[in-house]
Amino acid sequence: MKTAAELKEIAQFIAEYATRLMGSGVHTSRVVRNSKRLGEALGVRVIVSAFQKVVTFSVCDDDSGEVYSEVADIPPLPISFELNAELSALSWEAYDRQMPLPEIRARYAEIVARPRLDPIFTLILVGLANASFCRLFGGDWFAVSIVFTATLLGFFLRQRMQARGFNHYVIFIASSFAASMYASVALMFDTTSEVALATSVLYLIPGVPLINGVIDIVEGHVLNGIARLTSALMLIICIAIGLSCTLMIVKNGLL
Amino acid sequence: MAVFWQTIAGYNAATWPLQALLVVAGIVLTTLLYRRPSPRVKVAMKVYLALLNGWIAVAYYLRACAERPYSEVMALFWGVMAAVWIYDIAVDYTTFERTRKHDRIAFVFYLMPFVYPLFSLLRGLEFPMVTSPVMPCSVAVFTIGLLLSFSKRVNLFVILFLCHWALVGFSKVYFFGIPEDLLLASASVPALYLFFKEYIDLNFHRDTKPDLRVMNFLLAAMCAALGVFFSVTIWQQFIG
Repeated sequence: MKTAAELKEIAQFIAEYATRLMGSGVHTSRVVRNSKRLGEALGVRVIVSAFQKVVTFSVCDDDSGEVYSEVADIPPLPISFELNAELSALSWEAYDRQMPLPEIRARYAEIVARPRLDPIFTLILVGLANASFCRLFGGDWFAVSIVFTATLLGFFLRQRMQARGFNHYVIFIASSFAASMYASVALMFDTTSEVALATSVLYLIPGVPLINGVIDIVEGHVLNGIARLTSALMLIICIAIGLSCTLMIVKNGLL
Repeated sequence: MAVFWQTIAGYNAATWPLQALLVVAGIVLTTLLYRRPSPRVKVAMKVYLALLNGWIAVAYYLRACAERPYSEVMALFWGVMAAVWIYDIAVDYTTFERTRKHDRIAFVFYLMPFVYPLFSLLRGLEFPMVTSPVMPCSVAVFTIGLLLSFSKRVNLFVILFLCHWALVGFSKVYFFGIPEDLLLASASVPALYLFFKEYIDLNFHRDTKPDLRVMNFLLAAMCAALGVFFSVTIWQQFIG
């Protein structure tokens, strides 16, 4: 049987764990499953009600009939598949070994304290990934190199604007405009300039919200799924605005 | 190709006295930055760079090269660079503090704007149809040299733009047959390595990954690959 203080402690930990998962790009049903598994490991039943910005948790002790509820904000965190995989593994480890809360908390702290990717390293990798997209879509090597440097400029602008706390949508419009504008130099040369222009903004496509939105709808979290798809759609519109500005300037039209 | 050289000839013929003035101002300010690096001189250099980039945008691309396709876009790029330097004056980001680490290579870069016209003359071209020290690639290579010499805190956006421009210059070698632009492309590889190395060393955090050695190795590998690519192109130009 759990005391009210123990229930509160468990609920607060599960809230922290689940909101970190939600913020780091995990779809809703996986967060619900992991939270329930952690609850089972700790001897309580967890009921989760997840929304786009907040998650509500109720932790129930069936022996005593005691219930504790917690509402937590979902923080905007960088997407990290490595962190998500490790936090999921933690819930399994806790379940299999029936770990006590202090041990789970210590393991959790160790996982979240691990080093993040260096921004410069991310910048170069994003540049290479976007250049590879250009090649995949049939761009020649000159277009590939133009897309690489244009992506570096656009993504660097995005990193700096994010660091200065600009509005998310403004960042997407500005980055999309910058990357496509710098990629438009390809139009000067006899090269696959259309491919270069079109692929220069692909690094901004919100792939994770799109995939998670579809998974959420398929798995029954329809509200969350639609919310995720709507915010992804807003970002895609912002990318389109940035790209349209470039096209209006360099080609005097959108086609 | 013909339009390219005609616009250059028109630009040189119409603006050579002003170009000479800009070159003298650049030499004076660079010397002052080495000898008496006072806050006023540093601001004056930023104003000069804003003016130089603005000049390339307006006098070169909008006026002299109006016949060329996409010259307005090029003007926009250089106009943005002028705006970046004005913003730099407002926020005082670039400190122009001398590091003394890259003085030799920076000196080579300072000479490059003067090597450009020599290169054209050696190819048998005649004034005014020659590359000059106040043209986009010459300005880019001068800026790289300046920032290398005073690289304590540089604006990475400027560096990335100059690398992007070096790539454009490199493409002109292939598409328009202008071997002068190989100078900027060749200079950009060691410059890119030195800037990023300096930036990584200054901004590296212990709570990030991969570690410093891996980052430096990756950077060296990337620049070596670029160097090989450019060397092959230069070799092809010589044997072609």
